[in-house]
Amino acid sequence: MSSPLETPDDDWWSVPINRRESIWLALSGVWCLSIFGWMAGWVSFGDQNPVGETNSVSASEFRNAMSAYKAASTETEDGLIVPAGEDVYVGAMRFNWDGLPVALEAGEEYKIHLSSYDVQHGFSVRPEDTLSKHINLQVLPDYEWIVPMTFDEPGTYHVICNEFCGEGHRTMHGTIEVR
Amino acid sequence: MFGLFRDDYDDDGFRTCSVTGMRIHETVEDHAQLFGLTAVVALVWGGVFAFTVPMTRWELIGLLDHTNYYQHLTLHAWNLLIFWMVFMEIAILYVGGPMVLGRRLPLPRFAKAGWGLMVAGAVAINYTVWTLSGVNEAPLLTAYVPLPTAEGFYAGVIVFLLGATIAALPFFVAIWKEKRANPGRSLPMVAFAAFVTGIIAVEAIVGGLAAFGYALAWRTEWIANGDPALYRVLYWTIGHGSQQINLVAMITVWYFLTHVLGGARVVSEKVSRTAFILYLFFINMGAAHHLLSDPAVTTGWRVWNTSYAFYGATFASLVHAFAIPAGLEAGRRARGEGGGLLGWLTSAPWKNPAFSATILSIVLFGFLGGTTGVIMGQMQLNMTWHNTLATVGHFHGTVVVGTTLAFMGLVYFLLQTSFGRELAFPRLASAQPYFYGGSMGVVVLMMMYVGLLYGVPRRTVQVVREIPGTDFSLSAAQPLFAIFGVLALLAILGGLSFVIVALGTLLKRKPLSGGAAAATLLPGGDPMPDGGTPPPTDDPDGDAAGSPAEGADDPPAEPGPAPIDDESLHAQDMRGTLAICLAFMAVFVITYVANWYLLSRLWSIGA
Repeated sequence: MSSPLETPDDDWWSVPINRRESIWLALSGVWCLSIFGWMAGWVSFGDQNPVGETNSVSASEFRNAMSAYKAASTETEDGLIVPAGEDVYVGAMRFNWDGLPVALEAGEEYKIHLSSYDVQHGFSVRPEDTLSKHINLQVLPDYEWIVPMTFDEPGTYHVICNEFCGEGHRTMHGTIEVR
Repeated sequence: MFGLFRDDYDDDGFRTCSVTGMRIHETVEDHAQLFGLTAVVALVWGGVFAFTVPMTRWELIGLLDHTNYYQHLTLHAWNLLIFWMVFMEIAILYVGGPMVLGRRLPLPRFAKAGWGLMVAGAVAINYTVWTLSGVNEAPLLTAYVPLPTAEGFYAGVIVFLLGATIAALPFFVAIWKEKRANPGRSLPMVAFAAFVTGIIAVEAIVGGLAAFGYALAWRTEWIANGDPALYRVLYWTIGHGSQQINLVAMITVWYFLTHVLGGARVVSEKVSRTAFILYLFFINMGAAHHLLSDPAVTTGWRVWNTSYAFYGATFASLVHAFAIPAGLEAGRRARGEGGGLLGWLTSAPWKNPAFSATILSIVLFGFLGGTTGVIMGQMQLNMTWHNTLATVGHFHGTVVVGTTLAFMGLVYFLLQTSFGRELAFPRLASAQPYFYGGSMGVVVLMMMYVGLLYGVPRRTVQVVREIPGTDFSLSAAQPLFAIFGVLALLAILGGLSFVIVALGTLLKRKPLSGGAAAATLLPGGDPMPDGGTPPPTDDPDGDAAGSPAEGADDPPAEPGPAPIDDESLHAQDMRGTLAICLAFMAVFVITYVANWYLLSRLWSIGA
């Protein structure tokens, strides 16, 4: 029968598949397994993975951690935070980035501690002169995400919020100076 | 609809469609029309915001400011992505289930009650979003906890979801009655696909009730702390799940309309049905696509779920990508319509907007929406797509140039068959799918480009020409935004053309007789030369269509070629389809590799 509007013949399961359709099925199957393998493999051999330790943290706990971090840091004359160690804290809040601007060294690995004091935000960061390079991570209140990052190229990196967080959303901007 | 549009049913309430050969009961047709027309109303209302939203994002115009843009964005999303689609999908369930099976609609009161609740929920959502005040922010589509919005909004969503569940019940009862009456007999393909759509819908709705119930409990302070990560998991069960309903409903329409209007046949019941089963098991894992750049889910969870378990659902979509054009090719070649590699395609009824909208939907969905969904659904690539305008480009590639275009094709079809009307402004109607699909296709590409190449975020009112408080901006994206803006305006005109044709057809009330409908819609003759008889039935309830003998009495609208048997069909050439699919695969692979190249240029991130 093979009209989609009618009941097929009883033996529809045993009708052979057209050769060209079989070729397509094989090709599709190989492609699906390949892209799965590549995604899973990149976790081990790739340099860009949205992977890091996650902790439960309340807003006040994260604010305390931020204060301790700032107290241990130094500040440049133009107001940039220079972290004392490898830990860098970034607290998202309506409508500002606490902990930014920050001065980091190129080629050094930092642990970026991301959390929010209020609602959900988006941590979207790109170098000033190459806009096609950007990384976008979700920032949630009650969760601290510790994501390692190594900035290879010196320059100014701009952080904007890309999760709607309220009417002032568009003004949320901060910078990371990589030297 | 309730006597408004036609009254040619026999004493048992049935009529025979001159185009499809289906025996259609009045109750099914009435309610399918009710839901379909309500969907078009939502399309018109949501379409207003399809003007204000892009004209704001095109910052050269900058129509709205931050005080009301987000409300417009919310209403755009809810009216088009949810109300236009879900009302239409209930209509599709009624068409794909009881109408295809030749049954009356069981529990018509449930259908009406479900419709009433859905309308009430939709009105409540529109009202609460329009009248937001105080601490309440626009919920957009997602209403992410803990960003507060109006309590009535959450309640409206819950009412709408309950209504959709109740409205779907008559469909499931019809399937159940059919299986009771005919144990061991397979459903027709379209009914089977509709059934899979229905199950996926129920899964999504359960997730939606959990998500919005949780959010309402948090907002009314029944529970002290709303867990944002938990809410995201619950929310995306429906947030993405509802898009899977759109997908499967759209594919159901593809099988239906390519068959009726183009003469397509199912080349392999086994392959196509297996693909639907794969959807059933794996497609809801797609919800994890939204949590790829989230802190609170593990790497293994993300890799496994976004791959739909080794890309089980992607494989299913690739199956349909071949099976549907192959059905068209085999069916048309068997009828002698087309030689050479692509003669079966070039000879197709391209002036029929119901047909062209369907084919454009298949092509644009595959190239623009489908491939990018898989690409952005890879965990690492997602970092470069997440919350950028590229994401918005992706889903306009699926739900606008894919689903909306297919549903527009279905509306064109139903206007001429179910409503029995001659299309108003036939030349405008013929051009509309090309004009709308073409311009919207470019809009989709521009959104992807500005998102990927310039990192332009979604859901913001101002970021390209100026970010308040800093010299930094994404102004390099302005030239592409100019193309985006102009083409978005054209696409709006294309959408408006659809509304003009649809409303003009209904208001002009120029009847189209059954024979004339068949002559208009089936230039190649009946798609089923054997007459499209309803399946034999021995229904104890006696509410199914007539006996096979009765069905056989209904002559096909026009005499077609001799019946085609399975042997000749499976021996048909499918080389045109294979060539098209290989080209598609090449585009897919190139886009995939390009995205990974962009990612690999980034600085090092991740443990």
